[in-house]
This record gives sequence, C-alpha cells and structure tokens, in this order.
Amino acid sequence: MSKGSRLINNSLDRPAVVTWLMIGVAVVIALAAALPSLPADWPVIAQLQPVLRKMHRIRVDTDPENMLSPDEPVRVFHDEMKKTLDLHDMVVIGVVNDENPNGMFNPASLKKVHALTAYAKTLRGAVIGEPEGQGVIVKDIIALSTVDNIEPSSAGVKFSWLMRQPPQTEQEALKIGQNARRVPFLDGTVVSDKPGREGKAVAIYLPLTRKDLSHKIYLRIRKKADELGGPEKFYITGLPVAEDTFGVEMFIQMAISAPAAMLVIFVLMLAFFRKLLLVISPMIVAMVSVILTMGALIIAGFPVHIMSSMIPIFIMPIAVLDSIHIISEFFEKYQLTRDRKKTIRTVMDDLFMPMLYTSLTSAAGFASLALTPIPPVQVFGMFVAMGIMVAWLLTVTFIPAYIMFISPRKLENFGAVHREGRHAHETMLTKFLRWTGSMTYRRAKPILAITMVVLVIAGWGISRINVNDNPVKWFAPSHPIRVADRVLNDHFGGTYMAYLALRVPEKEFRNDQQREQFVKQFASAVSERAETLKGENPAVTRVFEELANSARTLVRKAKIPSEVLKSLAETIERKQGQVGEPSAAPIESGPPALPGGLDVSGEGPTVPTPAKQDQLVKSAWRSAGLFISEQVQDGEIFKRPDVLEYIIQIQNHFKSGGTVGKTNSLADIVRTVRRDFVSGKQEDYRIPASKSAVGQMLVQFQSSHRKDDLWHFATKDYRTTSIWLQLTSGDNRNMSRIVRNLEKFMRQTPPPVPMEVNWFGLTYINIEWQARMVWGMFNAFAGSFLVVFLLMTILFRSALWGLLSMIPLTVTIGAIYGAIGLIGKDYDMPVAVLSSLTLGLAVDFAIHFLARARAMQRKYGSWEKTSGAVFGEPARAIMRNIIVIAAGFLPLLLAPLVPYQTVGALLAIILLTSGVGTLLLLPAMIRLIEKPLFNPKGKTGVTCSCVTCIISAAALFALIMVNLHMYIPLGGNVMWIVAVIVVAVSAVGCRLLSNRQACTHDSAGNREGVSK
Amino acid sequence: MKIDRKIIAILLFCTASVAAIHAGETAPAEAEKAEKDKSLSVSEIVDRTNYTAYYQGADGRADVRMTIIDAGKNKRKRVFTILRYDLPNPKDKGKPKPTTPAEVLKRDRANTGEQKFYVYFRQPADVNKMSFLVHKHLDRDDDRWLYLPGLDLVRRIAGSDKRTSFVGSHFFYEDVSGRNVNLDTHELLDKESNKTYYVLKNTPKDSGSVEFAYFKMWIHRKTFVVVQTSYYDRNGKEYRRFNALAVKKIDGYPTVVKSQMTDLRDGSYTLLEYDDVKYNSGIPEDVFTERYLRNPPMKFLK
Repeated sequence: MSKGSRLINNSLDRPAVVTWLMIGVAVVIALAAALPSLPADWPVIAQLQPVLRKMHRIRVDTDPENMLSPDEPVRVFHDEMKKTLDLHDMVVIGVVNDENPNGMFNPASLKKVHALTAYAKTLRGAVIGEPEGQGVIVKDIIALSTVDNIEPSSAGVKFSWLMRQPPQTEQEALKIGQNARRVPFLDGTVVSDKPGREGKAVAIYLPLTRKDLSHKIYLRIRKKADELGGPEKFYITGLPVAEDTFGVEMFIQMAISAPAAMLVIFVLMLAFFRKLLLVISPMIVAMVSVILTMGALIIAGFPVHIMSSMIPIFIMPIAVLDSIHIISEFFEKYQLTRDRKKTIRTVMDDLFMPMLYTSLTSAAGFASLALTPIPPVQVFGMFVAMGIMVAWLLTVTFIPAYIMFISPRKLENFGAVHREGRHAHETMLTKFLRWTGSMTYRRAKPILAITMVVLVIAGWGISRINVNDNPVKWFAPSHPIRVADRVLNDHFGGTYMAYLALRVPEKEFRNDQQREQFVKQFASAVSERAETLKGENPAVTRVFEELANSARTLVRKAKIPSEVLKSLAETIERKQGQVGEPSAAPIESGPPALPGGLDVSGEGPTVPTPAKQDQLVKSAWRSAGLFISEQVQDGEIFKRPDVLEYIIQIQNHFKSGGTVGKTNSLADIVRTVRRDFVSGKQEDYRIPASKSAVGQMLVQFQSSHRKDDLWHFATKDYRTTSIWLQLTSGDNRNMSRIVRNLEKFMRQTPPPVPMEVNWFGLTYINIEWQARMVWGMFNAFAGSFLVVFLLMTILFRSALWGLLSMIPLTVTIGAIYGAIGLIGKDYDMPVAVLSSLTLGLAVDFAIHFLARARAMQRKYGSWEKTSGAVFGEPARAIMRNIIVIAAGFLPLLLAPLVPYQTVGALLAIILLTSGVGTLLLLPAMIRLIEKPLFNPKGKTGVTCSCVTCIISAAALFALIMVNLHMYIPLGGNVMWIVAVIVVAVSAVGCRLLSNRQACTHDSAGNREGVSK
Repeated sequence: MKIDRKIIAILLFCTASVAAIHAGETAPAEAEKAEKDKSLSVSEIVDRTNYTAYYQGADGRADVRMTIIDAGKNKRKRVFTILRYDLPNPKDKGKPKPTTPAEVLKRDRANTGEQKFYVYFRQPADVNKMSFLVHKHLDRDDDRWLYLPGLDLVRRIAGSDKRTSFVGSHFFYEDVSGRNVNLDTHELLDKESNKTYYVLKNTPKDSGSVEFAYFKMWIHRKTFVVVQTSYYDRNGKEYRRFNALAVKKIDGYPTVVKSQMTDLRDGSYTLLEYDDVKYNSGIPEDVFTERYLRNPPMKFLK
C-alpha cells in the first residue's frame, strides 16, 4: 500500500469533486486578491466597498531601500539626515550638444534648457495626478535658470540669476557658460567639466518629494524633450529613475516572461508525450499554483517587490516537474494494462515518496531564504516554498483526477504511438543513457578524479568572486537609462549621489559637577567681559551679575549647555522690553484681521509701551545679548576655519582617485563667496582666517535668490555638515572602496575636533543591504543545506545515503560559483539568491535517481545489473525533467532587465549541470561504495542506526544554531561548548534508541523483506 | 481702474513725518483728523500708502529684531539698527520753510523720492559691526555698499536684482527699501474693498523681472498702513504673504512695530519687531556715506 493512497483514491473515485474544489478555491483566492484593487466606482465593486476597503490592495514596491527593513539604523539615519538637511532624491536630466563648437552655450540650446526647466517646474500636484504639494520641489531645482551667479565686476560684487531669460546672442550665451564654470558649485554639476567635453552638456537636477514619482516625471520629461527636438540629445538618469522605472518594467516582464516560460514548457512536453490532452494538465497545475500563491501574497498584504515579481516564473517550471514524472511513467506503463486506475496506482506507488521529498527539499531551499535579514527576500522565499507545496498537492490530487476524465478511447494510441512513431529518437535517448550508465560503471574512478579537479578550480574561482551590485545595471546596456547613465557620467562629475555627514554633537551634562564646572567657566567669562565694559557703561556690572546668577539657576534643569544659553537669551530679550515668543499669524485667505493697535477708526487700543529704561541699563543688556550670542556661536563648530580646512582635506582626499568626480561642501561655499568679495581671483579662493568672517560669508551667501541652499550643507547650529559626493559609478564595490579609504584617511589625518562620521544617500544604502545579503545568503545556504541533508537522511533512513544525495548539487553549486568568479560576473542580488534555491531544485534529480536505484537494487541484487535498469525509464524521466525545467527558465533571457536574464541563464545552467552531475557522479560513487550502501543489515528508521542518528542530531543542532545566531549573538566558545554537549548527549540517546526493541524487530522484518 | 502711479511694498520701519525740527510737536494727528478719506483716487491711495510705509518724517531710526523661523520651527535671530534719511524734495527747493504743522505734514507727504538707508548689524555675534548702506534711486539702480568686518573690506554691491533675500530672511531687499511704485500698474478692487480696507491689485509692468504675477495689498483706510500683502504666482496661487501684526502711533505717525513675511509653500516665516522707533532725530545726510561703514555713527545707533 502506498503512502497517501487515500489521497489518490479520492481523486480516482471522485475526479469531478476534486476538480471543482480546485477551481473553486482558485477563483475565490483570485477574486479576493484582485477585487480590492479594482476601481471603486465600478458597478458591483462599489457595492462591495465596505468589505473590500478592509482588504489589501495590490501594492508594488520597487524601492531597493526596502531591501533593508525601515527600522534598520542605516535607513533611520538616512531618513533623519535627509530631513535635517532637507535633501531629496533627484532625477537628473542631461542635455548634450556635440555639434555646436560652443557645446550647449548657444542661444538655441539654452532656450531649450530654459523651456525644459520651466516645464519641469510645473510637474507637481494635479499636473502629474498627485495630491497638492507632491512632485518636483521647485525651490530646490538646480539648473542654469534657477541658480544664482556671483560675479565680481567693476561696479562691485554682483549677485544675479545665472540665466533668468534665455540669451539672445552668442556672446550672452557664452558668458553664461563662463559664469557657470566660474562657480565651483555649478562646474561639473550643472555644466560639464570633463576634459574635452567642457560646456558640451548641461544638467538639470529635479529633487522630488517622493522618489516613486520618478517614472511619472521621467515619462513627461522624455515627451517634452522629444517635442524640443535636436540636435541636442536629452538624457534622463539618477538612481530614483532607475529604481522606479525598474518597477514599471518589472510588471511588463511578469506579463511576458511567465507566459513565455509556460509556452516553452508546453511545447517541450508536447514534443515528449505527443498528447495535447494530457499535456494540458500540468499547465493547469502550474497556473493554479501561481494564482494561489500570488493571490495569497496579495491577500496577506505583502507588496509585490522586485523579488516577489519573480515568484510566478519560479513556481511554473517547478510545478510541472512532478507532473512530468507522473505522465512520464504513465506514458511508459499505460500500454501494459490499458487500465487508467491501475496504471496510476502503480505510478503513484513508485513516485509518491520521491515527489513528496523533492517538493519538500525544493520548498526547504526557498524557505531558508527566510533566514536572510532582507525582508523582500524573506517574503519571496516563503511564498515560493508555499507555491511548491501547493503545486505538489495539486499534482497528486488533480493529475490523477484529470487522467480519469480522459476517456480510454482517447488514450488508445498513447504510449503505443510513441513506441512506433518516435522509435528512432527514443532509441537515441535510450541508447545514449544506456551508454552513459555503463560508462559510469566502467570509468567510475576517472569521473570522480575529474570532479575533484573541477572542485579545485571552482574553489579558486570562488575566492575571486566579486561582490557588487548597481541598480542602474539592472537595465540592459542598450536601455535608455543605461545609455543616459554612461553619457552623463562621461560629461559631469557624476550622477550618483552619496553624502558624508560630519557631526559634533553637544556634550550633555552627565552630573551636577559638570554643571557647576560650566557655570564657573561661564561666570568667569561674564565677569571678564563686564570688567572690559564697565569703564564705558557702569550699568554693565549689575546687569552681568544678574546674568551669571540666572545661569546658576537655569543650569540645574538643563541637559546641555546650549539650553542655558537659550534661556539666557530669552531673559535678555524680556529685559530689553521685547515680546517673548513670536507667534505666527494664522494663514487664512480672505481679508486680514486688524493688527494690534489698529481699529476701523484708526486709533484702536494702544499697545502697551514698556516702561522707559535707563539708556545705560538698556545698553548693558544689549551688550549682554551680544555676549550670549558669542557664547552660542562658540558651539558652531563647522564655522571654524580649521574645521573647514579639514573638510577641504577630505575633499582633496576624495579627488585623489577613484570614482568621486566632484564634491560640494560648506567650505566651497565659504571659499567662493570670499573669492568673489575679495578679488574674484583663484588665489583668494580660500577659507578666511576668522570664524566671524566665515559667518559673514555665509550671511552673504544667503542673501540670494536661494537662501535655503545653505541648509543642505549645514544644520542651523553648525554642528552637522554634509559633503556631497558625485560619483561616476553606482557600483557598490566602488562606494565600499570610498568608505574604506576615507576611514583610512581619517585615521592617518585625524580631524581637529573629534567628530562622528556617517554616510547616507542611496548609493551608500545599497552597499549596506548588499553586505547583509552576502552574509544572509550564506546563512540561508547553510540552513537549507542542513535541512535538505536531514530530509535526505530521513528519506533514505541513512546518513550515508543522505550525504550521497548531497554530492551532485554541492559539486554543481561549487562549479557554478567558481565559474561566476572566473568569468568575472558580479555577485549581485539575483546571483546571491540563487545559491540556496538551487540547492532545493538540484537535489530533486538525486532523489529520483537514488530512490529508484535503491528500489531496483533490491530487485536486481547487484549494482552492475541495477545500473542498466536505472538508466532506463528513471533516467529518461530525469532527462526530460532537466530539459523541461532548464528550458522553462530560458524565456527570462529575453527580458530587457538584467536580473531576470541572470536568473534565467544561471538556473538553466545550474539545472543542466546538476542533472548531468547526478547521472554521472551518483552511479560512479555508488560503484565505489556499493557495499556499505547496500548493506543488507540496513535498519529502517533514522534512530535505528547509531551513526545516522548522531549525524542527524548534529545536523539538527547546527541548523538550530544557524537560525538562532541571527537573533541571539552567541560567542564562538559558547557555541562549541554547547555543540560538544549536544553531540555527547545525542550519542548516548542514539545508542539507546538504536538498541530498542522496535529497531531490532523492524530490522528483522526488513531482512525478511530483502531475502524475499 | 488702472493707474500708472505709485504704491509700494511692504515693510520695514515705517516712519514718517514732518520736517518739524522742533521736538514735541504732535501736529500730524490733528491734521489727520481734518482729512476726509472719501473720494481718493487710486494714485492718491498708492502715494499715501507708499508714504506711510517708507517716508514718514524726514528721517527715522529703529532697532530691529529679526526672527527667522524655518519649516522645522528652528529659530535664528538677527539684531540690527536701521537709519533712514529722506532727501529733500527737489520741488521744494528755494521754497520757504513751512510754519504750521499742517504745512509741514503736507510737504512731508509730498516727498516720496530718493532715500538713504544705513543698517548696522549687532547679532548674531559673528556679523556684529557688519554694516550696509543703500542710496535708493527711483530712476536707476540703487547704490549699495557692504562692510565686512571679518575681512575688513568695504565692497560695492553692483546694482542687481532686488528680490533677493535680505540677510537670509523671508524679506527681500526690496521689501526693506520699498518697491518703486512705478514698476507696477495699480488697480483698486472695489468688490474686495470695504469700510476697513482699500484692496489694491498691483501688476508688474515687466513680468520677466520678478517672481510674482501680481500682488494684492490690504490698506487700512484711516491710516494707510498696509495690513497685508499677498503675492500670487502665474497660476493665481498665493505663495507669499506679508502681515502687519502690531501698529503703534509714534510721534503721531502710525508705525508698524511687528510684522511677518510668510512663505506659504512651506509655512516658514520671518518676524520683525521694532523697538526704539524715532522720527526726525536730525540724522545728518553725511552719516550715509561709505566712510561711516567702517566707523559706525554710534551716536545715532545707541
């Protein structure tokens, strides 16, 4: 009696019930997933709204930032700094003119740039179908027509718009170019500066309120650019565009790749079995599995991410695998009995356990992705695992039911046809397999020797693996975004933004002693100042004394010194008779309310006049105000000339090599203003000697059309500053190198003030999740390896068989990753994800091979005889599977998105390799260790063999540790001690278990079975 | 109802008055009462408003405390003193000095011509002693000079766009010195005007030179104090607003002592509070020259 026969009997006896049940569930899930996302004003949908509103709509998430969970410190910091410095993700438009000798700086080209910028300003709110306030942030657009020019002229320093209106003459146009190149902030950012390409291109930077608006903005800009026409070329890039566009194309991909995969599989199956009616059934299984899985994903409220969009393409080929085995055997055996029921029963007897285990191992491989600390990968793993088990259930229930629907008349030629009609071809495959079988028997040792050589080369290749990713490279090289990326980075300082945050937080008072210390210093500074002023104004003595006293009271409650100073400043304002906290006027439309002091008649209530103060006392308080302001400004670290010089050193360090094309900083602003105030000459491009001069430069900088630009570079307390980096490459590898090199630089050249150094920006975030991915994937791989091993040991009731089944896939994965290292393909997100799921897929072939080999060995007695039989029907089924599943992933190669291509190509190669590996390595291994493998004393039950039991226990323990250490940091020593204890305990336990009654009894029974 | 005449802008220290040299004369108040506000022409409204906002008295001074509040509610302070001098009306040249307070006021009101400003910064500490001088002209670009004590450097600022931020605040230079009323056409909005306010719509003659499409002013009928100015963009959306928050009668002149400029797009704003406002202190024209930038006229700044 086979396991699960009740399940199968059900299908055989009540095929209609089983079929309708499946269809019913699929329809319900599909509706529950789709309805909430349909337009709410559709007739039936409208009535269902009360229910639908509570359900999840389809959410799409294309943001690689979400590779990290939102509470990851690096993301929290990124968001915090973006808010603090009012920075936003930017779309970058580049306009290039290669035909005009003056590049872009001619009236016609600049007119287009002007028009495009003006158009970009309108891309917000209703114009782009978004709520008010969403879209392009107009005040922060960086473009020729939105920035200021500072210019020393004979009439004095001149502040003006760089290009308020498009120029009328060539001269004017050239002048704009010259001016732009003079301003360090603009050169290499807004106007191209690369040697030989100076002025050939200009850029427009559009900061967005949300980066998921990028694609919308992208399409509109694209259209406008087409209207503007040539000879200028328009390019649009920037990480947000890449990320958002990827999301849009991902859906197109889903709609193309999945059906294409289905078609390929369908055609192949038709070629193998020549029975359209029968071949449709696995297609139904695949489709229903996809519907159920994606439906469940949406209903559960998970977003469709780059990863989860690949779920259908993974489930489809895997879902048909088991069906192929069933049909394949049914195909071979039907003509023997011509009885559907009987044939299916025999087939399912043979296949039920291997199918269950192949599904379980595949599912385990995917489920292990839940071990990675990357949320979208976790979701992907769990749902593919679910989909595989759904597909298994459907295969063992629906396929038998479906076969029962086919009338025997229609099956008359089935199988028989193949024997005659495809005789030649069939013999070829059969011949080939038979030859392979005997070859593995005769040449077992050379096969294993070659394998060892492959493994050694692979090991070397793996050591050369290059961990790297770059969302822009997710597009094929010919994609407009890739092209734009290349062109713009050839012209400008770079379009990838990363930011370095330098912070010197104020030290908190840790105890009252420190408070006292502060007050003491403060009081002595106060009295010193009072001393110098009292000659001029005797009232100062009393006023400053009051100041010191207030400080003594205020410090008690203060957490930081600046709190005391702030309160003192308020006290001083009150003393000068000024109103306290300013209150904003309400922002309402309609006629304004009358201000205090006015009524309709013109008189109104008088605003109380503060009591007249002695002029001297008032002046003394004014001096006190200045004194406090000085104290406050002492804390403004990033106005200090020495600190600004250090920032310049950092910038020079970045410039000294690598992919940093350009940097912008507070120091550059200060230097530029100073240069143009003093002489306009390059020799005056430097930091002034005093801090107050720096302060004055910054006030002048703010006296512009863009007063708030300063706050992108410093916070208002000047304790945080940011250096902008423009990188010419978004490769994580390059960003990592920049981070490492800076650490080294700062160790060698310490800053004048200890400061916190942190990175933020999209380019940096990418390296953070990548680091997690590499280790996360390693954990997932270790986890799934152990799970699969345990499952194999349980299936075969032997650790030796378990290990044997792991060999082909281990060699395959080693070889593939070695090859990746050797050919220099980057280890990126898709490659990383593939490692653990390959495991679950590749072991399938081994399971089928070994399960059938073991069963046949019982029949034939020796491997020499068994080998021939195994290379008959079982090997043919495996070969068919290898071809179908490998080909099923090939349509991904047609995708214009690189991750899909990678997955498609790699999976096909991996499956081919592991299939071939299975058919070569396993028989060769079996040949060598035939004796211990087919030991007639073999006991059933994992716990019955002491060795198997101990190894299983150790594997289980290791599995638990791999899982646990993600959440609990355990020291290496602790782990080893626990490991030794666990192994010792399990050894004793296993000894007892294997000697128990059940085992001896069972093994006796087994021996009987064998001898029979 | 369009008229091509004056009106003004907004803010700063609204001073005024009489060339009354004798202190203690509060004649303007009485003269005020005699006046009827009935049938004023648009140009008269524009002139009176411009006068009230920028020209009251022959000279003026005020201590100003500026608080810049960003969208995140961070505050930054600037403290400065501002001195103003009105050049005598060329039309009055050779005429005898007025004798009655009413005459003095009449003549002062007629003088909305060239002016000089001197701004002396006190806080924050790093801009202490920075000073700024403006000679305002009606027929050409203003002359501006800046003294940077940190570099010990006096620099001329070339006549450029006046709609740039005044020391990083939400007020523009033009808001501080007054927008030339000839740059706009003025229209009295009858429907919106009521017994409290005249409402004027001002449209720039050269729309390319400014960032607004037009601006509206709510002018207090009795005092001609601008209570609110709203700036509208090309889509007719208000994005920037000035409000007078407190008015005091000082030396007989209605004077805005607290005002606010708001950026409606992000809710950030700047508050100005005036203290020690004085008119007709007899500040000599000589103070408004380059050499006083380095050596501030402390006598008038105290």
